[in-house]
Amino acid sequence: MQYLVQLLISGLAIGAIYGLIAMGFAVIYKSTGLVNFAQGEMTMITAYIAWTISTTVSGNVFVVAVGAILAAIVLGLIIERLVMRPMLGEPVFATVMVTIGLAVILRSAINFIWDAYPHGLELGMGRGIVHLGSIGVRTGQLAVIATLLLLLAAIWAFFRYSKVGVAMRAVAADDRTALLMGISATKVHALAWAASSVIAGIGGVFFALSYDLSPAMFQLGLKAFPATILGGLDAVLGSGLGGLLIGITENLAGGYLGSGMKEVAGFAMIIVVLMVRPFGIFGERDIERV
Amino acid sequence: MIKHLAAASLLLSASCLTIGPAAAADPGITDSEILIGDVEPLTGPPALLGVAASIGHKIAIAEANAAGGINGRKIKYVLEDDGYVTARTIQGAKKVIDVDKVFAMIGISGSGQSIAVMPVLEKSGIPTVIDVAPVKFLWEPPRKNVFVVGQSYEEGIIHLVNFLADKNPGKKWGLITQDDDYGITVRDGFDSVVKAKKLNVVYSGNYKKGQQDFSSDMLQLKESGAEVFLAGGIIAENIAMMKELEKLSIKPVTGIFWPGRIEPVLKLMGPAGDGIYAVDYVEPFAGSAGKAFLEKAKPLVSEAEFKGINRYTMTGYAAAKVLIAAIERCGKQPTWACTIAELEKTKNVETGVMAPISFGPGVRFSNQKLQIMQADAATLSFKPVD
Repeated sequence: MQYLVQLLISGLAIGAIYGLIAMGFAVIYKSTGLVNFAQGEMTMITAYIAWTISTTVSGNVFVVAVGAILAAIVLGLIIERLVMRPMLGEPVFATVMVTIGLAVILRSAINFIWDAYPHGLELGMGRGIVHLGSIGVRTGQLAVIATLLLLLAAIWAFFRYSKVGVAMRAVAADDRTALLMGISATKVHALAWAASSVIAGIGGVFFALSYDLSPAMFQLGLKAFPATILGGLDAVLGSGLGGLLIGITENLAGGYLGSGMKEVAGFAMIIVVLMVRPFGIFGERDIERV
Repeated sequence: MIKHLAAASLLLSASCLTIGPAAAADPGITDSEILIGDVEPLTGPPALLGVAASIGHKIAIAEANAAGGINGRKIKYVLEDDGYVTARTIQGAKKVIDVDKVFAMIGISGSGQSIAVMPVLEKSGIPTVIDVAPVKFLWEPPRKNVFVVGQSYEEGIIHLVNFLADKNPGKKWGLITQDDDYGITVRDGFDSVVKAKKLNVVYSGNYKKGQQDFSSDMLQLKESGAEVFLAGGIIAENIAMMKELEKLSIKPVTGIFWPGRIEPVLKLMGPAGDGIYAVDYVEPFAGSAGKAFLEKAKPLVSEAEFKGINRYTMTGYAAAKVLIAAIERCGKQPTWACTIAELEKTKNVETGVMAPISFGPGVRFSNQKLQIMQADAATLSFKPVD
């Protein structure tokens, strides 16, 4: 039983990180209809910036958190303005290819700006081990689970009650009608890129805190993408929950079926789920009338 | 007329044969310069080894240039980035050989990359010294122009497992490896000792390259009751594994392989890394040879490069020293043929960073002496134990 609980807790912890990055994918898709293949790289860049702040400005957790969030906003806005906005109206395939190119550039930037060595994000908290009964958990792992749950609630409220959230939903539902209603689609897109960058960046910073920073960190995007597909590409909250499901599934598969099954379990799961619900567990069926 | 043309052709052919390749200047050499080429991963996670190895080459070249170069010619280093992508290694090697027209090659990326680029090197006939990733295919069968400085991965693992087995008789063993050619080599070395020493292996895992979370793997290791653990990760993987073991409150006797034996790893492992064993054929930086090397390197490289020094800098330095010495022995007019012949004559060349290096007739592998080291978390260093 203890073995199972340990697997579940570890699965929830890594799944929460996948969930945050998956929410980043979904925010952009929901607002722009675009899959951002540079999501993992944007996550990594924010985490590296957080590390730079911690080593050069201050290791205080609040300074690092505020600095990283601001940096993530700026990163999202710059990418939207300089890279994505010129692609407005272009074929989706071309736009997706641009995000792939962006991913390669951001990946290479790590070595040019920082280095290839792994680094630890030391904030004086998050790396300690607490024991829940006889089960050891890092405080950063507990914090990321709590953060995901808080963000899920906050994002639900944002889309449900705030004017901006409703505007984003309107643009996602029908951007032409939204435009006629006085909503600026470009502003909504910019906001979506900034929000996506922040949400995924939080996942990256928690990953760096619980594990380490390394130039291979962009691969988190590859793990989070199935979570988005599972939860529903257009379902921000569903993507967050999809992350938890993928994390738990991976860990249970790794723990009971063997190490080799860990990495394929998440993908096997989405194949099965998509056969039943092609739009994801929480996604909306896209009805096209002809 | 035809007779005259035929005679002229014969005369021309004969003169070419008489002069031979020695007189035809080999590429990459002018009155004032000798070009040495290299292709390394300078971007992406493996840049950790590629950048460090290239710094080693630069140190040896700077040292030689400061002493007047090779018989008066300054050495120029031409470095290409392959991003650890095999197709780019081949492309980079072709570019360096055919476009930059270097005189000799050194380093050359990871094991898979150097294997893939071998036909290009063999076909060109360029003198080459490989130092980053020594694998048997590179010297078995021996290629005329390709020399390898180092020790085989398999021998390294055998040495480490034998040491740990002798030190921990009758204990239960656990092993985890990566699902690629590196992991297969580690596993092959491990399995050969398991058979010979009849080790009791209770856990055997295989992780996918790029895996970052090892919680379920290490939990399985704990459940298996393994007391001695061979962590077959490279760098970040071993750190993640040791931290998981710390979280699970277990500390098996652990061995790691030389790609992960770099000092920053110990800092990231923290107390979890204290006492882990590693095998290597280059000197630890904590020893007198390591300190002397760092002293020598400091004025020869930039501050940023100095920070990038790790064990691969030592392997790169040693290989460059051997190559430079061989070219130097060829005198004022070095050729490829002479350089290859002189490389073959390399006998007990001291580099200060590993045991003396030797090749020989038909011997293209330096077969370096191995040593076991143990991590000291307090000083963030590895110290020899055997």
